[in-house]
Amino acid sequence: MKSLRRFLARLFNSATRRAQEDRLSEEIEEHIALQTEENLRAGLSPVEARRQAMLKFGGVEAMKQDYRAERGLLFVENLLGDLRNAGRTISRMPGLAAVIVVSLAIGIGVNTTILSWIQTILLKPLPGVSGVSNFLLVEPRMETGGYPGASWLEYRDLQTRVPALRDVVASQMVPFNVGERGQTERTHGQLVSGNYFSALGLKPTIGRFIRPEEAERPGTEPVIVISYDYWQTRFRGAPEVVGQKVRVNERDLTVIGVAPREFQGTMLPLKFELWAPATMAPALLGGTRDLEDRSTRAFSLIGMLRPGARREEAQAEFSTAMAQLARDYPEASAGIGGEILPFWDSPRGPQRMMISGLAILQGVMLLLLLAVCGNTANLMLARGSTRQREMAVRVALGAGRWRIVSLVLSENMLLAFLGASLGAAMAVWGTTALRVAPMIGAFPIRFQTRVDELTLAFAMLLGAACGLIFSAAPAVHLARLDPQDALRSGSNTPPRSRARKVLMGVEVGLAMVVLIAAALFLESFRSARQTDPRFRPEGVLLAAYDLSGRNPDEASERDFTARLLERLRSLPDVEAAAIASNVPLDLHGIPARPFTVQGRVRTEAGQDRAISNTVTPGYFKVMAIPLLEGNDFAEMTDKAAPAQAIVNEEFVRRYLNGADAIGRRIQTPGGSFAIVGVARDSVYNAFGEPAQPAVYFSYRDRPQDQGEIHLRTRSGNETALTAEARAVLRDLDPMLPLYDVRTFSQHIERNLFLRRIPARMFAVLGPLLLGLAAIGIYAVVSYAVARRTREIGVRLAFGATSGRVVLQIIRENLGGITWGAAMGWILALVISVRVIAFTKGAVNLPVFLGVPAILLGVATLACWIPARRASRIDPMAALRHE
Amino acid sequence: MKQKADVLQGTLALMVLKTLDVLGPLHGYGIARRIEQISGDLLAVNQGTLYPVLLKLEQEGAIASEWGASENNRRARFYRLTREGRKQLRAETKDWEQTAAIIGRFFDAKAEDLS
Repeated sequence: MKSLRRFLARLFNSATRRAQEDRLSEEIEEHIALQTEENLRAGLSPVEARRQAMLKFGGVEAMKQDYRAERGLLFVENLLGDLRNAGRTISRMPGLAAVIVVSLAIGIGVNTTILSWIQTILLKPLPGVSGVSNFLLVEPRMETGGYPGASWLEYRDLQTRVPALRDVVASQMVPFNVGERGQTERTHGQLVSGNYFSALGLKPTIGRFIRPEEAERPGTEPVIVISYDYWQTRFRGAPEVVGQKVRVNERDLTVIGVAPREFQGTMLPLKFELWAPATMAPALLGGTRDLEDRSTRAFSLIGMLRPGARREEAQAEFSTAMAQLARDYPEASAGIGGEILPFWDSPRGPQRMMISGLAILQGVMLLLLLAVCGNTANLMLARGSTRQREMAVRVALGAGRWRIVSLVLSENMLLAFLGASLGAAMAVWGTTALRVAPMIGAFPIRFQTRVDELTLAFAMLLGAACGLIFSAAPAVHLARLDPQDALRSGSNTPPRSRARKVLMGVEVGLAMVVLIAAALFLESFRSARQTDPRFRPEGVLLAAYDLSGRNPDEASERDFTARLLERLRSLPDVEAAAIASNVPLDLHGIPARPFTVQGRVRTEAGQDRAISNTVTPGYFKVMAIPLLEGNDFAEMTDKAAPAQAIVNEEFVRRYLNGADAIGRRIQTPGGSFAIVGVARDSVYNAFGEPAQPAVYFSYRDRPQDQGEIHLRTRSGNETALTAEARAVLRDLDPMLPLYDVRTFSQHIERNLFLRRIPARMFAVLGPLLLGLAAIGIYAVVSYAVARRTREIGVRLAFGATSGRVVLQIIRENLGGITWGAAMGWILALVISVRVIAFTKGAVNLPVFLGVPAILLGVATLACWIPARRASRIDPMAALRHE
Repeated sequence: MKQKADVLQGTLALMVLKTLDVLGPLHGYGIARRIEQISGDLLAVNQGTLYPVLLKLEQEGAIASEWGASENNRRARFYRLTREGRKQLRAETKDWEQTAAIIGRFFDAKAEDLS
């Protein structure tokens, strides 16, 4: 206690040095004065009295030292002194400091932002749920490679057959139409097993969660849990919501509780609003047989690892269990094994794609930060050299090497931490960019990214690392200084500045890599915007409907689609109408299905696959995709025609070697179809993709319970069709909402969203980095030139032309730069060919030639300006210099 | 060498506390005078060493100080014992007396007592 108190007092005193010092002096003065008076009274002469008093007091300086040592903590004092000094030094160079702090802040901010995104996917796949690291996806897997999901009965079996998993929970994503007839609203929810909430370890905001016994017998417990957001927006957060009835899919369900604020369900990044017991499936989904039928694989499973168990054990047990099930129920489970996967490797959703993309982005941005560090080191080195004299004086006055290093270090660390703090602030702003992601496709998406302790620590760590990196060179340089030399020679002998040149080369090399990456990305993004999709999105309105809540049979699906299409076509403003199961350029992609085609024998193992879209007649007209051969599908009401398919050019080229396609048969797991037409290739999943084989089927032959309505407007204003389309659907079925209404152009923009973020990032950071490199080179060259004023003066005096001087300076400096640039260029080339398939095989020549040209041009300019200035000096003035 | 100084500092601290306990608030010079009077030569030469000790005691909370006027009306820093200091003094006095008694017994002991 006593020593703590003393420590705190000393710590405090370290900060308030001056006042204390004054106090001591005053006390000493007083002491000596009193002693002198005493001595005077004893009869000594005034001079002698004071001398005796001083003698008696003892060595004042030694005592003061003791006093100081007692008062404060020496190292803290030194540190504070250094920091004060650093603050002063920095405030004397506001321009330079601002460049350094801002560039570091941008580098650190960008990296922190990306880390927080990665973290969202990797470490926090289930917002609001803790202990996620032990949660794994339990995925049945077909021999053919698909992940079909698990059936309810299979889930019940697996609960007991995988002992390495403490709990297994099941959930099924379902569309819910909430509300009364005629004014329903579409939301998404999950049907969940009874242990869902307890196994996830969630606590209700209010009310309670579904109890295990409420998900035992089918249809017994009409209860529902609502999300926090839903509670806030639809019930204004009223606590009386518990016990209220909500009409869902034409059933009354009682609200029993509200989920925690952050919880959004167990299928990132989708956001769900409602959770009902799985046993309500038949009641809510029009008598579906989900709960009894082993071949209806509608559930996703998540397992929680038992403490101490490893994923491999769970995997082994799961495989055994699936093999057993395949033997017991061959008709439903034959050929289905299983995989235990981490969340980020989920076979569904954009995680996999995003993680690899973000990892590349993070790598590039770390390089950018390194380039910024190189730049800063260069600036500091150039500045440090001008401070040689100051440091020499310090050394001469007895400062140790470590004091010099710590002085430099504290200055740079202060800058680095200023940058890191600003960067963290920028990251807070940057993370919201992903939070405000628009709804993608039919499903609401929410990324709960935020800057938390981990990302903050990351920012500070980056700051510290940067500080150390760019301190190293100047600190070593200054600490090695010989004071005598430095004081004597002043600025007459230019020290060989190899370190600076190497740094300059490294910086330019790093900048080259980052700039090429940025340019490649922007280029691919830009070309994506400008590429002809080979269909015409302008003037098309899209809207979705979903009958799956009705669990309709094929005949009623076909009938519904036919009637809907008929009504839509008759709208006055509609030039052409169609319905399709998939829309091109959707973030989730169009599925590819296996098939065999008559006339092709596959030699290698595996199956042929083609992108597969189910459409109604009129689809090619709406999309403006010409049919090159054959005809469109038969009308929906045609009962005579055999099952039909239309293939695209690439399909014919790849699988039929360009032979005549019409009339051949395609065999799929769903049946046999005759090819009636060949459509032109178009873009399916991404702009700039290589030509993909595709097969279109007809709603007539393969009815679907949901669809995307495509309407081509006559007037040119497609949004005007919204009300009419809504009215048509309401007439057909008042309980069915039309949702996700958007123009085709909006659809494309929305799905480019995830690529737009890095594109914007690069668009801003690229020029910035170029500017930084220019500043760095400029600083180094102008410093080097300033040191050589006398030499240049001599040359000029001996008749060198200013042009030659400029040329020589540029040549000297450009050497290192070119070296660095060449290394960077080669590195970028290797990376782009080996790692990133940005360029789809071919090297993007404009980028690989243009970026070096620009970078070297800027570098030359940055050399030329100071060189030019130096060559303009009057030789006489230069010789008199100093 | 160093240890000797520490011992001196320790005893000096105790002397300061005792002095303030007996005489009430005093300035540095007053304390020095008083200790000098009682202890003879101990502080005769290096009165300055008193000040680091005063600071240490103050930082430990055993004494407190404030500005006041000295006898001849000059500004002087007056030190006084705090409650904490009184407690410390009592404890240290007891320790000291015990130690002194033990050492005393050792010095008094004769060969036959130890056999």
